Amino acid sequence: MSLFSLLSVSASGMSAQRARAELLVENLANAETTRTPEGGPYRRKDAVFTTQPAESPFSSIFESQLGRPDGVGVSEVVVDNSDPERRYLPGHPDADKDGYVAFPRINPAEDMVDLMGATRSYQANVAAISSVKDMIQRSIDLLR
Amino acid sequence: MPLPISSITIPATREAIAPAIQMPGDSRTSGEFRGVLEGAINSVEKSGAQAEQSVSNFLSGSGEELHTAILATQRADLAFELGLQVRNKVVAAYQEVMRLQM
Amino acid sequence: MLNGLAGKLEQYLDLLSARQKLVASNIANADTPGYKTQDIDFQTEFQNAAAGLGPHVIEANGLPVRNDGNNVSIDRESRLLAENDLRFNIASNLMRDKIRILKEAINGGNGS
Repeated sequence: MSLFSLLSVSASGMSAQRARAELLVENLANAETTRTPEGGPYRRKDAVFTTQPAESPFSSIFESQLGRPDGVGVSEVVVDNSDPERRYLPGHPDADKDGYVAFPRINPAEDMVDLMGATRSYQANVAAISSVKDMIQRSIDLLR
Repeated sequence: MPLPISSITIPATREAIAPAIQMPGDSRTSGEFRGVLEGAINSVEKSGAQAEQSVSNFLSGSGEELHTAILATQRADLAFELGLQVRNKVVAAYQEVMRLQM
Repeated sequence: MLNGLAGKLEQYLDLLSARQKLVASNIANADTPGYKTQDIDFQTEFQNAAAGLGPHVIEANGLPVRNDGNNVSIDRESRLLAENDLRFNIASNLMRDKIRILKEAINGGNGS
């Protein structure tokens, strides 16, 4: 299992964190959206991460005993199907007959914190790529 | 009876290290010199083969580390250079011995 | 050629590479539910001159587990990332020096 496989691992981490960040941003932007094309208020989305072996175009089928390293991937996007939050706003255009409006069940503060976490994880993956580039360069320097 | 040192099939190392010089004189002396050279050639060929295998493994993506392949190459280079020096010394010593015997 | 201390240095480089790969996996899976931090027992692996097979992957212990079952500490992994890189740097420079000295020793008596 060559150091080069580390690049695939960290790249998968970056992709996954970016996908997660995109969903969080979408949640934050739609925290007050009461009307969607599908009907009803916006429903919060979340990315589910699972460990996946990291592939790289240069690796062969016959890897060493340690096997393929663990990367990560978004296995599915879950939509929050719990009951929306109902607020009493009789004058609202989306109010039902009782004067209640269905709002997305989103806690912006929570999603902001998650977004910062995703950013930090993303940066850690970038640092990993940078470090392996350094180590590979030092290996090449052994030839000098 | 002349004892050509190089063989007919020519791996590069063998050709570089053991030029086809004729070594006239008694076979016992030439045999000892030849033995030293053969030893050097074998060592060089072995580390050269190992280096080739290591680099090939690395390129085929089967998981060999870059630094392993590079170090194997360096080992082969060192063995080769040492082999060259051994050849130089052996040839010089042999010629000296032959000169003294004249 | 290049046995003894240089052989140990190469082993050190091998172990550092293996460890860095696990650090990268840990970082990539920092938010994966149920994922447990992986590591190798560096000291033990380095002392057992068991070359050939890869080092034995273990679970790092002493790390607090969060609600989703994940126990990756980005702080720990970031620190290891920098440390492994630095150690690799040191070992490869030492190795380079060894090679250079050997070459000089061999060629020192050239031109015979």
